[in-house]
Amino acid sequence: MPKAEISNHIRRLRFDRGEMTQEELANRVGCTRQTIIAVEAGKYVPSLSLAFRIARVFGVPVEEVFQYEE
Amino acid sequence: MAPLQRRAFYGLLIGFIWIVAIIVVFILKGGVSAFNEDQGFRLTIDGLWIGGLIAYLILFETILGKPGHVDERDKLILDKAPRFQWLAVIFSLVAWVIALSESYHDAGQVPVVFLYLIFMSVLIVSMIGQAIGILIGYRRMR
Repeated sequence: MPKAEISNHIRRLRFDRGEMTQEELANRVGCTRQTIIAVEAGKYVPSLSLAFRIARVFGVPVEEVFQYEE
Repeated sequence: MAPLQRRAFYGLLIGFIWIVAIIVVFILKGGVSAFNEDQGFRLTIDGLWIGGLIAYLILFETILGKPGHVDERDKLILDKAPRFQWLAVIFSLVAWVIALSESYHDAGQVPVVFLYLIFMSVLIVSMIGQAIGILIGYRRMR
């Protein structure tokens, strides 16, 4: 099975939305700031549910936030 | 630091203070033979043991019951913590078996008091192991 990487554009999307803080995003999606930091850094791949909640906060489709690369 | 990570750090701190307090009281009061004969000594150790257990449970239960304090990543780390916890428990049991077998081999029997001490120590090791397992989980996912 080829190795897959999930990358994301959360950092850019946050800054595009008036420099939204990690804390604010965490509060809006219902997780801790540490989890947002880990997701942004690519250290943690969120569940589908969390991924959709993040995308919904930014008002974009989930594939605009997360990219699957092989 | 995530709330669960902070609790695990405090749990580790409490665990070490707890175990050191029990060992110090045990040594100062006269060890295994005194523990077997002196009811006051046994009650002191019981108090330390139960007190530490309650402190530990309050530390984790207050956060695990609160919505929003523990998210999916925290739960994943919490679910993986028993890997280290069980390893710590097994190693402590192996240490007890080897130590008691070597110490009481000639006598052919082990004093009953050790049943109590083994249970107490394994419970404490299990709790400290859980805290360390949680902290390792956060470190790996940093």
